Amino acid sequence: MSMTTPSRVAPGEPLARLLGVRKPLDPRARFWVGVLAFALPFIAWCLVSYVPFIWHPQVLVSNAGDTNVPGEYSYVASGDTVDFDVFVMRNRELSAAHAKLAEGKRVNPIYLQAPHEVARAMYTAFTTAPERTGDAWLHESLLQSCKVIFWGFLWSALFGVPLGVLCGTFPFFARLFEPFVDFVRYMPAPVFGALMVTMFGLADEPKIAIIFIGTFFQMVLIVSNTTRSVDASLLHAAQTLGASKLQLVWHVVVPGALPGLYRDMRILIGWAWTYLVVAELIGEKSGLSAFIYQQQRYRHFDNVYAAIVIIGVVGLAVDQVLAVLARYLFPWETGQTKLVRVMRAMRRALPQRALART
Amino acid sequence: MFDDSIQLPSYLDHPPEVAEYFQEIEKRRVVLGIEHLGRVFEGGETPVVALSDVNFQVRQREFISVIGPSGCGKSTLIRIVAGLEEPSSGVVAVDGIPVTGPGADRGMVFQNYTLFPWLTVRKNVLFGPRMKGIRADKADKAADEWLKLVGLSDFAELYPAQLSGGMKQRVAIARALANDPRILLMDEPFGALDAQTRCSMQAHLLRIWSAADVTVLFITHDLEEAIYLSDRIVVLGARPGRILEIIDVPVPRPRSQEQFLSAHFLATKKRLEELIHGRNPGADADGELLHD
Repeated sequence: MSMTTPSRVAPGEPLARLLGVRKPLDPRARFWVGVLAFALPFIAWCLVSYVPFIWHPQVLVSNAGDTNVPGEYSYVASGDTVDFDVFVMRNRELSAAHAKLAEGKRVNPIYLQAPHEVARAMYTAFTTAPERTGDAWLHESLLQSCKVIFWGFLWSALFGVPLGVLCGTFPFFARLFEPFVDFVRYMPAPVFGALMVTMFGLADEPKIAIIFIGTFFQMVLIVSNTTRSVDASLLHAAQTLGASKLQLVWHVVVPGALPGLYRDMRILIGWAWTYLVVAELIGEKSGLSAFIYQQQRYRHFDNVYAAIVIIGVVGLAVDQVLAVLARYLFPWETGQTKLVRVMRAMRRALPQRALART
Repeated sequence: MFDDSIQLPSYLDHPPEVAEYFQEIEKRRVVLGIEHLGRVFEGGETPVVALSDVNFQVRQREFISVIGPSGCGKSTLIRIVAGLEEPSSGVVAVDGIPVTGPGADRGMVFQNYTLFPWLTVRKNVLFGPRMKGIRADKADKAADEWLKLVGLSDFAELYPAQLSGGMKQRVAIARALANDPRILLMDEPFGALDAQTRCSMQAHLLRIWSAADVTVLFITHDLEEAIYLSDRIVVLGARPGRILEIIDVPVPRPRSQEQFLSAHFLATKKRLEELIHGRNPGADADGELLHD
């Protein structure tokens, strides 16, 4: 590149722009890199599933050859799936006996299902009746799981948020509650499983209780921290404006902490899903975990994957809905009110000189 | 900085209109009284005396600045007046009533704006009246007037994050004034602004001060800002923070930026430099290097 006529886009510049240290990506790059985040694992999955010899460590035997030939590997039968080594050894035995060789095709183990199989399962799992009458359909399981999460998290937030705000506002309550909460926090929620079943029976209640235990104690500490992070100078300003103690809490601490608390809740809902899997397997198994457990026993791994993917999709969807909702709930964080958009348009329309005055 | 060959008048030498102005101020009632104020920070190896025996009075509609080097306790002083900190000794009284904590009678403007980010500009201004339980329609009208006075009527529905630093500080001033305080406390309010914005904000503040019935206690470390704005300047010295002198500014009002080069202005500035940087007229040429 000559020095006198610098080209507008230097070679390597797009890459340099993408890999800037703490430089935000431009919107288009953001979108496509985000797509890539899902595309890359998917492509890897497809490669392993569909391109032969990348993995395919087993052989599905279509014809066992001459089964009368004795040998260490004579158990290989038509329809079996055996390790590739075993298949090779069997054929060695057969060829030594000058018998008909076994035939088969290389396959992946049953626990690695190809994308199309999982995709089909995502559909059929919803449309196929459960194998045992009385078992839940997938959509029933999904609904059941959502119900447990909802109630567990609701109870947790109903007590955890006010208590956390109280601790974050008054050092007295922080000292009174936080040490004990901190102590209980280290106990893994699942260890309370047996207790909860004894206390609440076999139905949904103990499961809701496990979600509650799993999220409540963390929530108190996280909420109190977020509440404490409200700028103290805002409190001072409010005091010099004549706010009483109660007004200080209600008109400054709470609105000041709210966007942060909302973000905390989004993260904690993720935790609730983690505890769900344990919670649903105590007492009477229920929900998606029971579905997965059941399908795994039938070795329907396509359905297992389908259910796992569905958990991911539901979690992601809920989070995204909450993220979009946040823009409307906290317009001051993004400046996205209708009125503000109108005002901004007006300001753009104003002559520049009028703005310079400000 | 000052060429001693230029003959400046004494800063004590008041023009007649200024002398008259100060006589008039003397007749007004005392809004803020500070008596034998002291503040000691315990806890370190040796207790730090931030303020020691500070005495002065601020009268109705007076504009008084407190100036001093960093560490002289000027911020501690204004925070004690605001009621955000407690004094170790002495009394702060507003209209003769001792201060026991923060209150609406002492509005404060902070250096870092401290606007409530979740409230629009108008709602920020309405915060004080709302806390007092003043009826919305009545408060609304007053808020609009204050916003008009600070020149932000068109921005009433924006959020603080959408404003520039200067605009934010104007909202903060309107918010404090809308609460109808006895005295407006300003803690280095323009310290975070760039030089140009700071200049226009000073002019703005003078305009607001002349339009509204408001007494101002203003903290700054900028000498010119103090002279330009104030009736009187309280000069604090550091370690321990104490009053070195209270200067009656001899620059006539109305003030303008052209006066920065007037004889009275420069004489006052010279005196302030002497007090703060410990330079006496005719001191050695290295004096410049000694101050912080």
